[in-house]
Amino acid sequence: MEFTIEPNETVHRRWLKNAELFPDRDAIIFWKTGEQPFRWTFSTLIQASEKYISFLLSSGVKSGDVCAIIIRHHKDFFPLYIAVSRIGAIPSVLAYPNPRLHPDKFRQGLEGMSCRSGLDWILTELSLKDVISPLISKKESTIKGIFYPLDIDPDNEIIKNAGHQINLKEESEDSPLLLQHSSGTTGLQKPVLLSHKAVLKHAANYASSIQLNEYDKVVSWLPLYHDMGLIAAFHLPLAFGIPSVQLDPFEWVMIPSILLEAIHQEKGTICWLPNFAYNMMADKTRDEELKGISLQSLRLLINCSEPVRFESHSKFEKRFIPCDFNPLSLAACYAMAETTYAVTQTTPLNQPKVLFADRQELSNGRFKLSDNKNSRYCVSSGKVIPGCTVKIVDEEGNDLGNDMVGEIVIKSESMFDGYRNYPEKTAEVLIDGSFYSGDLGFIHEDELYVIGRKKDIIIVAGNNTFPEDIEDAVSSIEGVIPGRVVAFGEYVPEIGSEQVSIIAETGAAEDSIKSKIKLEIIRCGMEIDITIRNVYLVPPRWLIKSSAGKPGRKANKERILGKELAES
Amino acid sequence: MISERLKAAILKELKLDDYEFTDETAASQVPGWDSLNHINVILAVEKEYKIRFKNIEILRLRNIGELQDLINSKIQNAH
Repeated sequence: MEFTIEPNETVHRRWLKNAELFPDRDAIIFWKTGEQPFRWTFSTLIQASEKYISFLLSSGVKSGDVCAIIIRHHKDFFPLYIAVSRIGAIPSVLAYPNPRLHPDKFRQGLEGMSCRSGLDWILTELSLKDVISPLISKKESTIKGIFYPLDIDPDNEIIKNAGHQINLKEESEDSPLLLQHSSGTTGLQKPVLLSHKAVLKHAANYASSIQLNEYDKVVSWLPLYHDMGLIAAFHLPLAFGIPSVQLDPFEWVMIPSILLEAIHQEKGTICWLPNFAYNMMADKTRDEELKGISLQSLRLLINCSEPVRFESHSKFEKRFIPCDFNPLSLAACYAMAETTYAVTQTTPLNQPKVLFADRQELSNGRFKLSDNKNSRYCVSSGKVIPGCTVKIVDEEGNDLGNDMVGEIVIKSESMFDGYRNYPEKTAEVLIDGSFYSGDLGFIHEDELYVIGRKKDIIIVAGNNTFPEDIEDAVSSIEGVIPGRVVAFGEYVPEIGSEQVSIIAETGAAEDSIKSKIKLEIIRCGMEIDITIRNVYLVPPRWLIKSSAGKPGRKANKERILGKELAES
Repeated sequence: MISERLKAAILKELKLDDYEFTDETAASQVPGWDSLNHINVILAVEKEYKIRFKNIEILRLRNIGELQDLINSKIQNAH
């Protein structure tokens, strides 16, 4: 089945075409533990969206309006999202706030987003009414209203007559389709605007790379506010006309084996995962949960978002071979919201190549094969997908060529249209049509190897965290010397992800006071929804300053970890 | 009422020196007990009491008091 795009085709037209071509084929299979899966077909999904179209239009939502959708795992999320899009409004899926997050912080985040993205409407659950309502009454707020679409009265006349008089304006291929938020704390996130053309071109190019076909079925627990969940596991199958099984991210993180059960029962063929998920499933699944589970149907298990770890793949392979897992289905890709999603992909049924690289040479900016102790596994993220080009550049933007480490720069047919209302940030990263990713890597024999980031971003279980946000918060704690705090990511091989660690200077000497300060630091992280795993308290003037006069993260991380190692 | 045994198992898993649990304490209130760590706490409790929770039981737990009740009922049923 080839994915061809007609002239000026839109995602909306593709959805309607799929509803006509495959009316009874499953589109979204909604899973909830303890319940029978709910199955939206391509036609029932479109029909259900019409109820919401009537509701949104009668409520004053217009084409071009930005609609934040903040809803937990619910079957009606899908027709609602489609409805927002079909009226020409721009859906932006946001994370439902974690109970740990302080309501004021959540509100501040939404306000920041409203200033940046020009947020017009919020579609959410009644349970957030008291938290979000104060935002509308603010004078400077752009938010025009809040709706609770899951609680619409079914006897409402507008809803009852839905679908009778819908006359929607036809969008063009260049019209904005969706807004997804790139890394950063809520409110400081970068709003990535994608057009219909970008999403369709990406679907066509990526589908050919992964040899997507009509027998494929995607299975995903990924949150839909993340590009991997929204684009790879939702937009791609919906445009292509194949089913997607959607699990609850919160249920998965508590019971990782539900993904295996869904693959087994639904005979899923493709799954995208962040690196930590491989460790989590291998380590946290009980033997009895695997009884009768077969992963035979799986043809692609694609690792993306974080640096791909060889150890994580090995662990997963070893654990699940007894469940008919085919090791050749292990795959990898390199992806980001700014290019819609995928940039590179390994060839299906060929495991990602693994190189043993000399660490010293890598830090000197060059890849060299090695077999000595000071080596590092580098896992390939595959070849560049059609419609994309990749080059590796130095600080001045000069092309470095093969086997040299530098910044990964991308050109793509499915490039974003810039960060919405953020021209200065767009200008920093989008130069002459090339996207400067901030990621470091090298190309070897036509395949891309991603090895790190230029900036000090901490990636915890697929979520990007800026150390500055944590340092600012921790600096305000009583007992911590203001400005004398460093946050950094500590890679934990057992879980296959980084964890947040803090070094803070304090004048406290007594152990009981130090214990209280440590607890306060962890609590402070909780209020901004960040889990701090390790707190290292150090005496005044312990932290090494950078040339800019601030405590340097890299130097202090090396110092504290070296000290811990020496003492262990 | 949260038993000292349950409290000790949770504190050990979360590497906390102490924390005042009540029946109503939710996981989200406890330092270090985030969604990623939830399964570790559950596995540690299962190991401590040599019991197994069903998936649906884990998902329905709202606070530590309910966790204690579930443990008690499992132990009682085992005898």
